[in-house]
Amino acid sequence: MQPVDTVNQVFTAIQQVKTNATAFCTNFFPVPQKLQSWIDHRELFCEDHSEAVFFFRKDRDFWRIFFCATNTGKLKQELMDLPDLKTKSMVMDLIEREAAPDSSLPIMESIGFRLYTRLHRLVRPGSPASQPLSSGSLQPVYAGNEDIQAVSDMLNVSFDHYAEQLPAIFEIAAAINNRQILMIKHARTLAGLLFFETQGVTSTIRYWVVPEKFRTLRYGSALMRAYFAAHAAIQRFNLWVIADNQPAILRYQHYGYASDKLVDHVLVNKMIRE
Amino acid sequence: MKTVAEILKEIRPEFDFAASKDFIADGMLDSFDVVTLVAMLDKNFGISIQGVDIVPENFKNYEMIEALLRKSGVKQ
Repeated sequence: MQPVDTVNQVFTAIQQVKTNATAFCTNFFPVPQKLQSWIDHRELFCEDHSEAVFFFRKDRDFWRIFFCATNTGKLKQELMDLPDLKTKSMVMDLIEREAAPDSSLPIMESIGFRLYTRLHRLVRPGSPASQPLSSGSLQPVYAGNEDIQAVSDMLNVSFDHYAEQLPAIFEIAAAINNRQILMIKHARTLAGLLFFETQGVTSTIRYWVVPEKFRTLRYGSALMRAYFAAHAAIQRFNLWVIADNQPAILRYQHYGYASDKLVDHVLVNKMIRE
Repeated sequence: MKTVAEILKEIRPEFDFAASKDFIADGMLDSFDVVTLVAMLDKNFGISIQGVDIVPENFKNYEMIEALLRKSGVKQ
């Protein structure tokens, strides 16, 4: 694999594949600013074949693999010939409609990927029927630069690094700078956080967590209420949740979220042990 | 053949696209939606939008999408 030096290099490589495509397939949804950030941090690599192009993003001790291919048959063939798949720990996200008849999951499993977990997307309308909640008496605050390490530590112990795309320190710093992390402290200790991204009329919760020992104190509810109170103009809320995390799903349903039938199959290769 | 407005309505029925000048900045289309939109435009208009053109600027409003369709060979 070769390092990617420019955003344009990514789009040019995709175009070369798309030109020859009979049934273009991809799991790559590149956003130029995010690509630039990965390139700046030397995290993005590429392997360009005639019928498929693969992008690799370094994430802790493994790689996230993205593909664009002319069709699923060629994708399978090119993946089987990919040397890095046999020697490096790889994670692949396959985003599809739930129970899609043309799912690529069997193809991935046939070449050695294993289903690690599934995420479901939940959405909530910001309609008049679901008016923003009052933030209540507990008042969460926005995280500051002094909280970067505590936020990182809490995310790392609370979420799955293969499945939930945990942010690097520089991404947490950017989120704090953009006031995207609400938190509550208990005796100067971080006791809960809600990390979100808002773009126009859509807002996405990335992480909502209160450690076990603080869960009777209603900090989770306070964070969620503060989040909705701060997003009164939002028309669409969404998030991704691990499909078998029933306690979390029930809590989100309580706040009006429901599945929109989009599923993220998180696959790992054989280098990642069970 | 569907219009661009009809296709957008299928992808995100909850939004009033006519009220926006920038669908991306206004949060009406995310990166998944853009890829879905490209596939639907390709199929509906019998074209292949080029990879280098799949950037947010080309999907920010009706005018930009229609310009992209013309560039991709759609006669309007």
